[in-house]
Amino acid sequence: MSSLTSAVRDLQRDLENKTNDLSKLQKDIAKNHQVRKKYTVQLGENELVLKELDLLNEDANVYKLIGPVLVKQDLAEANSNVRKRIEYISAELKRLDATVQDLEEKQNSKKDAILKLQQRIQSIQTTKGKA
Amino acid sequence: MASYKGGGGGGGGIPLERMSVEQLRALKEQADLEVNLLQDSLTNIRTATNRLEIASSALNDLSLRPQASKMLVPLTASLYVPGTLDDSQKVLVDVGTGYFIEKTMAEGKDYCERKINLLKSNFDQLVEVASKKKNVADEMAVILQAKMKQLASTSS
Repeated sequence: MSSLTSAVRDLQRDLENKTNDLSKLQKDIAKNHQVRKKYTVQLGENELVLKELDLLNEDANVYKLIGPVLVKQDLAEANSNVRKRIEYISAELKRLDATVQDLEEKQNSKKDAILKLQQRIQSIQTTKGKA
Repeated sequence: MASYKGGGGGGGGIPLERMSVEQLRALKEQADLEVNLLQDSLTNIRTATNRLEIASSALNDLSLRPQASKMLVPLTASLYVPGTLDDSQKVLVDVGTGYFIEKTMAEGKDYCERKINLLKSNFDQLVEVASKKKNVADEMAVILQAKMKQLASTSS
């Protein structure tokens, strides 16, 4: 009889641990989504800038705001800077995608494990009740 | 808790009528949240379009002013200093991410036009998505009410 109670207690402790893991996973997924949103917005903005730069003639003046200073920039340099930023952000987004997929898989397997644990606890408690 | 299969997949394969009241309620709340988000985005786009239109009309006004006319230049929200208008044929356009492009007055007006059109088309697309989502949310509300009436009538 007491071995059953301690078994239930062990299972419940295991359940608590798994639930904590699950909530940490969910927080990580939420953070991932936030960072992803930020990057997507930046990517969109940079692509707009690239489009504008492409429309310019060779001799148009481009300035970049560095702190409180507007600095004249070379059109080719501005183009390559914006392109490099777009590449970097796209790579970051791809990396985040892979991370979030991995996190979601872990989350699902944790949910399954928690479900199984709950079922085991329930079945033990019902047999205890009958006995 | 065990019978509710995770956030987005809840309404996936099961027709709405067969779901329990709790599942319907949770799904409806989710749909309402989404509708609110979309409405906020719509408001943002409207605000941005307004600001662009104000900028465009300011540009138009500026182009009418002769050079060397006197003007008051805002240094802060409450401090203006007198100045004279230099060449009004060239304007600096903020294109985002800290880049500014020098354009002629005509190109500046054209830039404003282009941006306004882009925002308007985004707005139209968003309105479509938002109204579809709202229909789904309303449908869920109707089914939820019907189910609850059913429950109340069977239990009484």
